[in-house]
Amino acid sequence: MKTIKDKIAKLSFVALLLAVTSAMFYTPAASAHGEKSQAAFMRMRTIHWFDLDWSTDEVAVNEQMTISGKFHVFAGWPETVDKPEVSFLNIGIPGPVFIRQGSWIGGQLVPRSVTLELGDTYEFKVLLKARRPGDWHVHTMMNVEGGGPIIGPGKWVTVTGTMGDFVNPLTTLTGTTLDLETYALDNVYFWHALWMSIGAAWLWFWVKRPMFIPRHIAVSSGKADTLISPLDKKVAMGFAAGTLGLVMFSLGATNEQYPITTPLQAGLMRGIKPIEMPETTVTVKVEDATYRVPGRAMQMTLTITNNGDSGIRLGEFNTASVRFLDADVTEDESGYPDDILAEEGLTQSDNSPIAPGETRTIEVTASDAAWEVYRLADLIYDPDSRFAGLLFFFDEDGNRQMTMVDAPLIPSFI
Amino acid sequence: MSASQSAVRSRAEAVQVSRTLDWMILFTVFTVILGGYHIHYMLTGGDWDFWTDWKDRRLWVTVAPIVSITFPAAVQACLWFRYRLPFGAVVCVLALMIGEWINRYLNFWGWTYFPVNFCFPSNLIPGAIILDVVLMLSSSFVLTAVVGGMAWGLIFYPGNWPIIAPLHVPVEYNGMMFTLADLQGYHYVRTGTPEYIRMVEKGTLRSFGKDVAPVSAFFSAFVCIIIYFLWHFFGRWFSKTDFIDGEGL
Repeated sequence: MKTIKDKIAKLSFVALLLAVTSAMFYTPAASAHGEKSQAAFMRMRTIHWFDLDWSTDEVAVNEQMTISGKFHVFAGWPETVDKPEVSFLNIGIPGPVFIRQGSWIGGQLVPRSVTLELGDTYEFKVLLKARRPGDWHVHTMMNVEGGGPIIGPGKWVTVTGTMGDFVNPLTTLTGTTLDLETYALDNVYFWHALWMSIGAAWLWFWVKRPMFIPRHIAVSSGKADTLISPLDKKVAMGFAAGTLGLVMFSLGATNEQYPITTPLQAGLMRGIKPIEMPETTVTVKVEDATYRVPGRAMQMTLTITNNGDSGIRLGEFNTASVRFLDADVTEDESGYPDDILAEEGLTQSDNSPIAPGETRTIEVTASDAAWEVYRLADLIYDPDSRFAGLLFFFDEDGNRQMTMVDAPLIPSFI
Repeated sequence: MSASQSAVRSRAEAVQVSRTLDWMILFTVFTVILGGYHIHYMLTGGDWDFWTDWKDRRLWVTVAPIVSITFPAAVQACLWFRYRLPFGAVVCVLALMIGEWINRYLNFWGWTYFPVNFCFPSNLIPGAIILDVVLMLSSSFVLTAVVGGMAWGLIFYPGNWPIIAPLHVPVEYNGMMFTLADLQGYHYVRTGTPEYIRMVEKGTLRSFGKDVAPVSAFFSAFVCIIIYFLWHFFGRWFSKTDFIDGEGL
């Protein structure tokens, strides 16, 4: 009986080990980037992305796609996040499934970090070339030094084809055309293999003879000096001379082969041009704002003054990349991701046009499951309970004006 | 067999057991160093060793030798002090580089698809051989620290230049000049590694014009001497045998 129990115990232990070991082989692809986990105030009060366009949602390996649009650097930037004086326009993808062939802000190529000004709006474009097949969530992203990654909206893009077909051709200033995907790979392998072989040879010279116990006995009994022979010293000198010779030879040969090389390029880029936004003719005052936890809805009382010469209507509230639209006023035609688009998410107590010169106070409700799904409701747990976002107004001809709102938010739990 | 009898019955058997123990100890030492040194180097050298667009002529040259001379100094002290074995530095660096290659190939390339020509490790073998040879010939830790430590820092850049030089060829791209290494960093997107954390070409060595690497290497070499001293004491301490006074028990 005891034998059977022991066998069962042993087998169980083996099965447990196998289960734990096999778990290592379960490595599903990361599908998204924790965008919902980022603190709500970071997404609401830093960079506001809008007018985004993903040029396609399916692309073959080696084909290009672009993400373009605008971002507004919020003037009420939170004190707890460093200002975007050193920022990098990045792209949120799970590793190099695309290569970034270009990125521009205000028409300027931005391969390096840039300085952004609070309150300005910038146009941007990122050019990607598909590399690895799969379904990838492609996000806009701005990294801010001292603030971390500020992630924008993401859209699923399917890459088809085979990664083995991917090429990344370039022509250097010395006139050589190469494929950066595999360039100089043989050279890397060759030098590493050569040097590791030399290191292994040195090791082998010593480990082929008795090592630890006899040598320890010899050292302990005061015969340490007998352990290194004159031949050992000659071999050692040979290794040292060979090493120095090979380093010098390879250095000279390399400089001959690559006479023109330059240091790595680095540095901050300043003076990035913002968009000249048209003077807004709408002023908005937030009288109060509450977030109703049970209803997953934010209610704002807004006093809007139209200083323009044609009637305007509020059509969209955009915060943390979630767009709440009033379907009576506007609709999305850009193919914006469904999960962050509330096509009928914006309701108003009165959405009739506000006449030129008129001031009107209205109740606006932005409601959608996205408040919960995208964890924006967590704003009520922030130490600085404020919200912010973009309001878009439309006149009778469809012209659009953008204004910012930034105000305290009071949670309502009943 | 009583407790007073030997476990081996002949000299041949004793030699066989001794060699078996040699291989077991070597294997254990190798894998322990592979893990410990690898973690240490990844935490301290990190991105400078990961990416070609971090391998610059100032900070990579300075940081990588300083943080990598640690384990070789300690292991050299142990192996020389206890066994008169002069391969402490090479065994460390071989273990490190094998570990790094496993990591770069299986993880960086196999898992996340960064090309190997973008994420290969630095070559530390030339410095390790010089360090071992200096210790063996001088049998002095002071000389090894001063001469070997300095050589470790000085030989790092020329020992790596044949590997990275092809990636420092300039290219014009959308109206700006890059090296191919810069373009690798730009093309192969690292979502969690924005450009501004790249610590390259920073510092105040402008008066040395383009010849910055030798100045950085000399500075690194001087610091390597100090770090060698410090870590060789760790090695000595770690390999010391202390006996407890029986009366105190």
